[in-house]
Amino acid sequence: MAEYLFRIFRYDPEKDEGTKGRVQEYKVDVQEGWTLLDVLVHIKWFMDGTLTFRRACSHGICGSCGMTINGKNGLACETQIKDLGTQVITVEPLRGFRVIKDLVVDMEPFYDKLYAVKPYLITYTPPPSDRERLQSPEDRKLLDGKYECLLCGCCTSSCPTYWADKDFLGPCALLKAAKFSLDSRDEGWAERVNVIDDKHGIWRCHTIFNCVEACPKDLNPTKAIVELRRMALRGRL
Amino acid sequence: MLEKPSVIRHYRWHVGTIAWLLHRITGLLLIFYLVLHIWVIHHISQGPAGFNKVMGVVQTPIFLLLEIGLLGCVLYHAFNGLRIIVIEFSKEGVEAHKQIYAAMMAVAIILFLIGGVPMFIHFLHALAG
Ligand code: FES
Repeated sequence: MAEYLFRIFRYDPEKDEGTKGRVQEYKVDVQEGWTLLDVLVHIKWFMDGTLTFRRACSHGICGSCGMTINGKNGLACETQIKDLGTQVITVEPLRGFRVIKDLVVDMEPFYDKLYAVKPYLITYTPPPSDRERLQSPEDRKLLDGKYECLLCGCCTSSCPTYWADKDFLGPCALLKAAKFSLDSRDEGWAERVNVIDDKHGIWRCHTIFNCVEACPKDLNPTKAIVELRRMALRGRL
Repeated sequence: MLEKPSVIRHYRWHVGTIAWLLHRITGLLLIFYLVLHIWVIHHISQGPAGFNKVMGVVQTPIFLLLEIGLLGCVLYHAFNGLRIIVIEFSKEGVEAHKQIYAAMMAVAIILFLIGGVPMFIHFLHALAG
């Protein structure tokens, strides 16, 4: 179809120790319909087997292939090359995280924050003996835009607040916290609020909205944070 | 593991990023102004002569020009601050933050022109002596 120039961040912990990484350029003849993931796979299979990146599903479900594409976070497998609108395409690992190799970053601190907000249903009253815990369609609707998250890390790693404060829980963890806090069946607010009502929690967000721009699933973590702030405020009054 | 990888291309600027950055900058400038303002006003303790002397300095053309900048900072900070309040407390504000930004900035620009044009004319007069 057309030839594109890919400028890809490279870092090999064995060879590049002591450096801040380098840029490697690849010229690829991109075929009609190729996503960035197709290009990366093409490079790895036919041009340079040392290029390292994460991927699993190739269909925007597993959240493995989050990276910074032309200066904006997104999923490689959901990014059509021709939609990028440039002949030169830069590909970088998600920022704010440590780089293990090339485009693979250490997501451990990201998961730690997720566990911290207790991302599961907390209940004290036992369920009815004859059925599951019911939820009205209206209450269920409150969770739309909260549960679809893939945990790809695109939002948290796009957040300037997170770049500056590595203790900030970040948009992803707070979106999860909102998902369970807004669930009509959940009774864990008292436990969760202790973690999120903190200067590294909901109050750290500066409403910069980078997370909203970055989310490949068009979710709105800022909205979740604002909702949590209102809940926390109501609890204090 | 690589702690701080080099950046090939800076992260893209979105409306929200620009709104926040300008809010920060104008906020810091306003703090600087506040210090300056208190310093000027404190000369009142030196009686009319001392106060008039320092007032003479801040009425020179360069300060008249800076005052237009001050008006801009105040208006931006106030109206973007209003935008943030609307985002935080209204129901649909988070989704419409860009439209709210545009509306707030439109009002701020109108007020800036209403205030800034006479101030600029005043500055030109002062320049002409
Ligand atoms: S490979 Fe699974 S989301 Fe891209």
